[in-house]
Amino acid sequence: MISKTLKHVVLALIVFIWVVPFVALVTTSLRSEVASKTSGFWTAFTPTELGHRFRTHTEEQEFTQLTGNIFDRINTENEAFPVSGEVQSILFKGRVPDPEREGKTKLLRQLIFVGEPMDVRGGEFVFEANGDFVWTFDEATTPKPKGLDVFINQDPVFGTEAYMEVLFENDHVPNALISSFIVTIPATIIPITIAAFAAYAFAWMRFPGRDWLFVIVVSLMVVPTQLAFLPILQGFSNLAAWGSQLNAWITDCELTDTCQLPSKSFASLWVTHTAFGLPLAIYLLRNYIVGLPRELLESARIDGANHLQIFTRLIVPLSVPALASFSIFQFLWVWNDLIVALYIGPADGDDLVFPIRLEKQLGTFKDQLHLLNASAVISMVVPVIVFLSMQRYFIRGLLAGSVKGG
Amino acid sequence: MRSVASIVASNGLAILLTVVVLLPTVAVFAYVATSPLDQWLSNIGVWLHNRGGWDFPVFDTELRFAKIGFAIRSVLIAVGVSFLYFWISNWLNQGMARARDPQSPGRQSAVVEAIQPWIFVGPALVLLLLFLLVPAFTTLKLSFQEASGDFSLRNYAFIWDPDALGYLQFRFAMRNSLMWLILVPTLCISLGLLIAVLADSVKWGVVAKTFIFVPMAISFVGAAVIWRNIFAGGGIEAQEAINGLTPSYQIGLLKSLLGHGPDYNEPLYALRFWGNFFLMWILVWVQTGFAMVIFSAALRGVPEDTIEAATIDGANPYQMFFRIKLPQIFSTVLVVWTTLVILVLKVFDIPYALSANDDDKLLLATMMENARNNWSVGGDNVDNLFAAIAIMLMLTVLPNMFFNAWRIRKEQREMGH
Repeated sequence: MISKTLKHVVLALIVFIWVVPFVALVTTSLRSEVASKTSGFWTAFTPTELGHRFRTHTEEQEFTQLTGNIFDRINTENEAFPVSGEVQSILFKGRVPDPEREGKTKLLRQLIFVGEPMDVRGGEFVFEANGDFVWTFDEATTPKPKGLDVFINQDPVFGTEAYMEVLFENDHVPNALISSFIVTIPATIIPITIAAFAAYAFAWMRFPGRDWLFVIVVSLMVVPTQLAFLPILQGFSNLAAWGSQLNAWITDCELTDTCQLPSKSFASLWVTHTAFGLPLAIYLLRNYIVGLPRELLESARIDGANHLQIFTRLIVPLSVPALASFSIFQFLWVWNDLIVALYIGPADGDDLVFPIRLEKQLGTFKDQLHLLNASAVISMVVPVIVFLSMQRYFIRGLLAGSVKGG
Repeated sequence: MRSVASIVASNGLAILLTVVVLLPTVAVFAYVATSPLDQWLSNIGVWLHNRGGWDFPVFDTELRFAKIGFAIRSVLIAVGVSFLYFWISNWLNQGMARARDPQSPGRQSAVVEAIQPWIFVGPALVLLLLFLLVPAFTTLKLSFQEASGDFSLRNYAFIWDPDALGYLQFRFAMRNSLMWLILVPTLCISLGLLIAVLADSVKWGVVAKTFIFVPMAISFVGAAVIWRNIFAGGGIEAQEAINGLTPSYQIGLLKSLLGHGPDYNEPLYALRFWGNFFLMWILVWVQTGFAMVIFSAALRGVPEDTIEAATIDGANPYQMFFRIKLPQIFSTVLVVWTTLVILVLKVFDIPYALSANDDDKLLLATMMENARNNWSVGGDNVDNLFAAIAIMLMLTVLPNMFFNAWRIRKEQREMGH
């Protein structure tokens, strides 16, 4: 029985290692900026010491004694992640009278704890663990508001602020989402259409050179795509130059100076992804179609159906599982692709696909980890939903012999 | 009377020309004709904006909706044109055969049958030719040329000449590739086997397998972001915090577990030499699910009688696995291994996202990108150098490619086709 327990423990441990990074991702995305960049995600579930800054008051007023609450002061400026917990200490930075030199001040930088009085702008400032503070002067004065840095043992707090910010306050992520859809949908449907026809021909039609053509197509599956980038780019820029001239010749684009067609565009990405996806698609579909009952096809031929009719009425409905498994492959492949989009895809900032945007955000959101993680979560929602809902077909495709590498 | 072959040739040419002229024209025309859709959608956007009282500039809304409009019509046109091709060429094929040979249905059908397969495989073959086969040979040619077009071996000088550009980087890239090549497939396969065996023997195995499997749906860049939370260095310096001052903590889980203080700021994946292993782990995390699924299915396919025989002979679970099951799924292990090797050789996203400019972490694919972006080359032959590195990448994949081709041929023969 020990071995049975051991099995559970080892498997649970592995699953735990696999899941922790996801927990880190989601947790970080739900925290505030300060929390995410100053404390680890695992501290988000327990009270944790975090630094905040608050101002004693906002409008200048005359008083001898000011009372208030540190938490209230902090939370007036920060609605999304209300701070609560226990005040630990205040780091005082400011000028206080110098005891050694009469009439002079010196710069002090000191940690003050609960209950200890401190000298702020000549008044005595005392605070409690619950955040209440009292600021007393000998006579009525009008002190300037003072910003103080306070360490709080803060209760866990989560919010969707980061998602709101990346989705609505900046157009990078929405644009990346739209661009990724623009790229992915045609780059999934077109290759599957083309490949299904080709697979049908490879499986059931007779033509010279069929078998060795098929072997060539299949062995292209593992050719590194990097090998093709330069010539493809060159080809597209020639095409774009040619198209620009045609554009200038046909339309009145000279007037608005818009003749220049981009060589790296969504369309170039569709075609390139289509070509790169074809070998696997043809391989998977052909192996599936060749296994369909031959009598069915022959009886349809006798009834006078042509190949297009057989294809659309018989082959497509029967091949749905194989079509589905390739579509998922291609969808995930294109959605998650970085390198092809980097070399062939549109370079304009608004048209970047999600992986490129995310790669850039690794740099720009270096200190805004909540935004980085929120953006990553958004980029994963679509593929994970597709994947989980069609897992069965994905596995079937894998088992049918996926040899395509990244 | 003309021969069937000449009719086939002329009909085929006619179809080809029609398609080549017609389809781009239709695409451009459809594109221009539908462009008011963008304006129309952006008007809807503005209407929604004003109704909903959205609090970002109305200009953004207009742009966003126009882009969605562009997206919808692009998708429809692209997909429509590719369907149109098959329909139109099929129709032309039938119609022309009938028109040119109205009296003889036999010859009609011979012509149709001869052209039809090429209509079906044509687009695939043309695309593969133009986007994979020809570019591969063009790259090969480029790699042996100067920028001027003269023959030269200079682009490959990084292999032997210590003064050549990329000499050091190439060594790093080869060293790292070798490490990745050995470690990643080995780890993925052993973990995959372990999980497959364990998960099939416990009740919650399906759930466990789903968790292991999910990373396969995620982009490598996403995986890099995810693991950054684990491998990151310390939090920001105290003085840098937006709020003036905050305590600085270790924010990477693993470094915290290792007991590093916040002052120890370097992310684990940026460590000299050892950083490579953390990058590798990310790939292992993504790809183990793949190995696991394949092995899980293969293990279930092991014939029941061999297992029963072993049980009767008194084999313990370890003997059962290593002596009975593993030898029977060995060919599957080999397939997974080649797939992973090819993947590893081409891996780009993870090192690019996390350590793009670090020579110490280079792989061939990232070395190419570095060459393209960061190396200013005398004589302006950066493209040729890029091509040379691509060829090196191809050479490393080649043995696997032959193995794969051989395996598929064998498989096809066994299936009897």
